[in-house]
Amino acid sequence: MPLLEVTQLTKHYQGGSGRVTALEDVSFALEGGRLLGVLGPSGSGKTTLLSLIAGLLRPSSGEVRLGGSAIHLRSAREAAAFRREHVGLVFQDHHLVPYLSALENLLLVPHLSGHVRDADRRHASHLLAEFGLEHRARHTPAELSGGERQRVAIARALMNSPEIMLVDEPTSNLDTERGQQVLELLRDQVHRGAMTCVMVTHDPRMAAQADQTLQLMDGRVAAGDAGA
Amino acid sequence: MLAVKELLGSKLKFGLIALAIGLVVSLTMLMSAMSEGLVTGMTGAKRSLDADVLVFQGDTALSLERSMLTDDDLTLISSSAGVDAAYAVGHLIVTIRGPHGSFDAHVFGLADAFDQLPIVEGEHRAPAAGEAIVDFTATTEGIGVGDTLNLNPLPGELRVTAFTEGRRYIMAPALYVSLDTWRSLRAASLLKLDSAQGGETATPPDGEVADGMPPEAAPTLAGAASIMAVRLAPGVTPSDLSAALAPAFEVATPEDASLAGNGMNVMVLAVNGIQLVSLLIGAMVIGVFFYITTLHKSGQIAAVKALGASNYYVYRQLLVQISILVTLAAVIGVGLALGAGSGMPPAMAFDPDPARWAVSLLAVYATAYLGSLFSLRSILLIDPATALDRAEH
Ligand SMILES: Nc1ncnc2c1ncn2[C@@H]1O[C@H](COP(=O)(O)OP(=O)(O)O)[C@@H](O)[C@H]1O
Ligand SMILES: [Mg+2]
Repeated sequence: MPLLEVTQLTKHYQGGSGRVTALEDVSFALEGGRLLGVLGPSGSGKTTLLSLIAGLLRPSSGEVRLGGSAIHLRSAREAAAFRREHVGLVFQDHHLVPYLSALENLLLVPHLSGHVRDADRRHASHLLAEFGLEHRARHTPAELSGGERQRVAIARALMNSPEIMLVDEPTSNLDTERGQQVLELLRDQVHRGAMTCVMVTHDPRMAAQADQTLQLMDGRVAAGDAGA
Repeated sequence: MLAVKELLGSKLKFGLIALAIGLVVSLTMLMSAMSEGLVTGMTGAKRSLDADVLVFQGDTALSLERSMLTDDDLTLISSSAGVDAAYAVGHLIVTIRGPHGSFDAHVFGLADAFDQLPIVEGEHRAPAAGEAIVDFTATTEGIGVGDTLNLNPLPGELRVTAFTEGRRYIMAPALYVSLDTWRSLRAASLLKLDSAQGGETATPPDGEVADGMPPEAAPTLAGAASIMAVRLAPGVTPSDLSAALAPAFEVATPEDASLAGNGMNVMVLAVNGIQLVSLLIGAMVIGVFFYITTLHKSGQIAAVKALGASNYYVYRQLLVQISILVTLAAVIGVGLALGAGSGMPPAMAFDPDPARWAVSLLAVYATAYLGSLFSLRSILLIDPATALDRAEH
């Protein structure tokens, strides 16, 4: 059974100028331990898709199943608890807490789940070292470069050892070289940790390096090998 | 974790807001201490009379100055049903010629119960004839224990045996004497008044007949006392006695009586009004500040919520910050108020009452938490989904 199953997913937004259909009848499946690249131009519904998988939005119709459990049926509170335990989120705009150091930003994740144990501290230091950030642990986001910030954000998403990572345009604020580094880091994590990742991008070169791709156009699946 | 780190990360911003709240707190504290000082200064001697109720002459609006009771009145009141014990109290305004010049004082003649006066200096005993226990504020006029007070232009003199405290009336020190001493002073003052009206300018010798009024008439005119302090029998309420003694007499608790006359009720209302307004300003400052900071970092809050933080968690951080800031502000405010109070001349009414300060501080905390509800509303409205699409819209 695939880890992630999306079935006939549709999302309408109720805007001031009427109803906007951001996503229409999207279906695909993703096996565990694979990296899916979601490709599409701006406004094609990529972020909406990611938000629906994360349980941040509820679909107008259709289903999202993660590890067999129905995400689309959860309340906001249940979805938040699910994200804390099982989902790693990386935002396009890194969204690190500005007054916390890199290390503290990582420890925020276990802190939100209850308390920070020694094992969490070791895990955080280990991740920072793995991402070449050990000498940056005590620096705040403002003292880090764009690439470093994005790496800290990915490390933070890995803190709860998630079953699935949802990554929105991780390289859009980076130059090609740094973007490539971040992508390789993600791929490495997915393949070594038997983790699953959905990565949104508008850059076909980035998407090409994923295990599978899904191309969106105006909220519909235009092409892809993710299958339904 | 977030709450404290954020405070430490923006020390200047939060320090300034703590200072602003601290100033409001100190204003509240000052108003409280000064209103307490005003009330004690205006009515301390009246309010602190040891009694369940005070009985005044009828139609005097609970005025110490206007009330006059005869010997018959005193007998009638003490033998009324519901009266457990009673003692007569006389009141008289005098002018004292002190080392720094003349000052007003209020003579209180007590038939009994001198042990109600806390002695801060001098002899611990009831004053004998010609002696007085004096409120400590008389020291600012250069008076000391053992001094003899000249009751200008009365012929009498009073020797100071001890100082008490918190016993002022209309901002002038109270002098406690025996009821007999009060009666002779009162009689002398009436004669003096009469002779002054008669056009005499020279001070007549003690006891001289002035303009045809016989000296024996003076005590009758003066009355036997001004009011009577009454201890009620168990189960008897002030209104019970009031009903029994009306309309010839007025009955009120010392607290109520102290608020009657001399514009006291208006003054207390005004001071309480200022306190209330400063509290509201404090609540507004805290409420608006945190509301704006919450709006300002709504993106950050959305991200933390997207990571799985509950609304309760985010609100708790805010409450922790408010608690820390208000505590800091309380320390600053109390410090400023005490500093301002110690810098005040003794004549200024400043009488910090820890209990009232505690109540004011509790009110500051309460209004701060109340103000945080604005922020709670905006926290609840922040949609975690906006964390993902923020960069594009
Ligand atoms: N909160 C919203 N309210 C109304 N319309 C929205 C909202 N979010 C996104 N949309 C619209 O839905 C469509 C898809 O948006 P989005 O999923 O952000 O696309 P992408 O991430 O591919 O750029 C766009 O037309 C966008 O304007
Ligand atoms: Mg997007």
